Amino acid sequence: MGQLVVNGLALGSIYALVALGLLLIFNTVQIVNFAQGQLLMLGAFIGISCAVTHELPTAASWAVTMVAMALVGVVFMTLVYFPLRGRPAFLVILTTIAMGIVLENLALIIWGPLPVSLPSPVSGPPLRFAGVVISMHQLFIFATLAVILLLQFLFLTKTRFGILMQATAQDLHTARLVGIPVNRTIATAFALGTVLSGIAGLLVAPIFLAEPTMGGSLGLKGFVVSVIGGFGNLPGAVIGGLFLGLVETFGARYISSNFRDAYAFIVMIAVLIAWPRGLFGEKTSEKV
Amino acid sequence: MESLQRRRWLVAAAVIAAALAVPLVTHDGYIIQLLNIAILNTIVVLGLNFVTGWAGQINFGQAAFYGLGAYTTAIATKSGLPWITTPFLSAIVVIAASLTLGLPTMRLRTYYLAMTTIGFGEIIRLIIVHWEPVTGGTSGLRAIPGISIFGIGPEGQAQHYYILVIALAVAILVAARVRHSALGRAMIATRDSEIAAEQSGVDTTRTKLAAFMIGAVYAGLAGCLYASSIRFISPDSFSGTQAILLMTMLIVGGMGSIVGCVFGAVALTILPEALRFLGQWYLVLYGLGVIAVIVLAPGGLASVASQLQLRRAGVR
Repeated sequence: MGQLVVNGLALGSIYALVALGLLLIFNTVQIVNFAQGQLLMLGAFIGISCAVTHELPTAASWAVTMVAMALVGVVFMTLVYFPLRGRPAFLVILTTIAMGIVLENLALIIWGPLPVSLPSPVSGPPLRFAGVVISMHQLFIFATLAVILLLQFLFLTKTRFGILMQATAQDLHTARLVGIPVNRTIATAFALGTVLSGIAGLLVAPIFLAEPTMGGSLGLKGFVVSVIGGFGNLPGAVIGGLFLGLVETFGARYISSNFRDAYAFIVMIAVLIAWPRGLFGEKTSEKV
Repeated sequence: MESLQRRRWLVAAAVIAAALAVPLVTHDGYIIQLLNIAILNTIVVLGLNFVTGWAGQINFGQAAFYGLGAYTTAIATKSGLPWITTPFLSAIVVIAASLTLGLPTMRLRTYYLAMTTIGFGEIIRLIIVHWEPVTGGTSGLRAIPGISIFGIGPEGQAQHYYILVIALAVAILVAARVRHSALGRAMIATRDSEIAAEQSGVDTTRTKLAAFMIGAVYAGLAGCLYASSIRFISPDSFSGTQAILLMTMLIVGGMGSIVGCVFGAVALTILPEALRFLGQWYLVLYGLGVIAVIVLAPGGLASVASQLQLRRAGVR
């Protein structure tokens, strides 16, 4: 029971990380990136190329992955979002999905279809506590989530750039009028959001194996989490992520593991039926 | 303008003649089978066009309705029910499913609707995969009884082809009729501005639900024909990937255009087979191609064609 809670929370932390990356982009340009899962997969494979194939030390391979992902984020924005600014959100959903297909198949071509494992950046004997085993990697996941949540909060509210980002999110045109470098702000949001999904990839790969098709369901879970937490809400995303991790772990244990991937959607549909704007409410309403 | 109208009729007549002539030209079973699947996909995409093209609601559940129709038909005929009951059974199942999904979700906005429909498709797929005694699991169902009305039914792929062409013609005519009815205009109004439509007395929730249901029935009936003309079904044909593929057929062909639906569905069904030598690269190019169409020609290839035509007519 306690073990299930720990495992569920670790899984949920990863979902929360995916959601935090989604939200960074969503909060700036009101666009949901349906390729977030494939970006996560890409992060995992870049990490594997660094740490396993080229045997770089952990810190170096994390650094390389993060820089590479930031670049990927900017390219991604240029191809998928930039040409469609001001056009219906619906079209951007489709371009991000299409880009997800491109990334997934490029990964299949480059890295092949076989699952690969990535060693955890931390090692050491697991903690044992009242019959519950917490691995070092799980602790590392919790710590990473906490640090990223804190950094993201400080970045958005305390730094100049974060405030520019929030201003851009509220009203792109006015932001441009008052001299905010809107394009650079948006590019940064995409870069950071992509880096976050890359980190999630580096954390997932040691638990599940990495394979090119791993992104689809993880990306969707990140989205489910954002919906449960209410779009644009950081603490909501974390609570939503942990909640979903617990639901899946307990559902797989006590109901049926075949339907593991369905629980997320069932929870989401239930939440949306009850609260059409998510548990913690999206604040904005439609502009006429 | 009149010559344009006449030219359109000529083009339509030529397309119909060409479609009818195909089995006379080729006896290659593979090609006819591919065309049969293309026609079935076209019917499903025409259904999706009601929801997405006209009512403006994103829907990634269309492949699941397709699958529900196919599995209902396969399970019914395999357990001994006469074929004639299956179109009705399929329609009843998809109407029930579309109401279950549509009633609570039709008030949701873009992203939420996209996600709930993806979720719905995934739940249906998981049920099909794991309810093995009934659905055959991942290996699917084989040797499904064919179309047969009081013992009379088509033999061979060419005869199936003609039946499917007739079904497609009916699907196109119904779609064209609905488009110019009060319901069709209400769908367009809902897409263009929900607020304005509500102000003009359109019940947008009901309109969206109607579009969603008609779309589901198209997919369900296409699924019924799929099961009984292809005679083999598996969950892969109705997965989330398939739902995305159907959506791209609509986008590439041209949202809201019947000609576009036909063009997009036929082209994107045949293209992967024709470009098989590209292997994995096909999907990479496919993704980039979809992005290119959305960015460069948001009305799809149908809009490019009609613009060219108008320009040429203008010059004359």
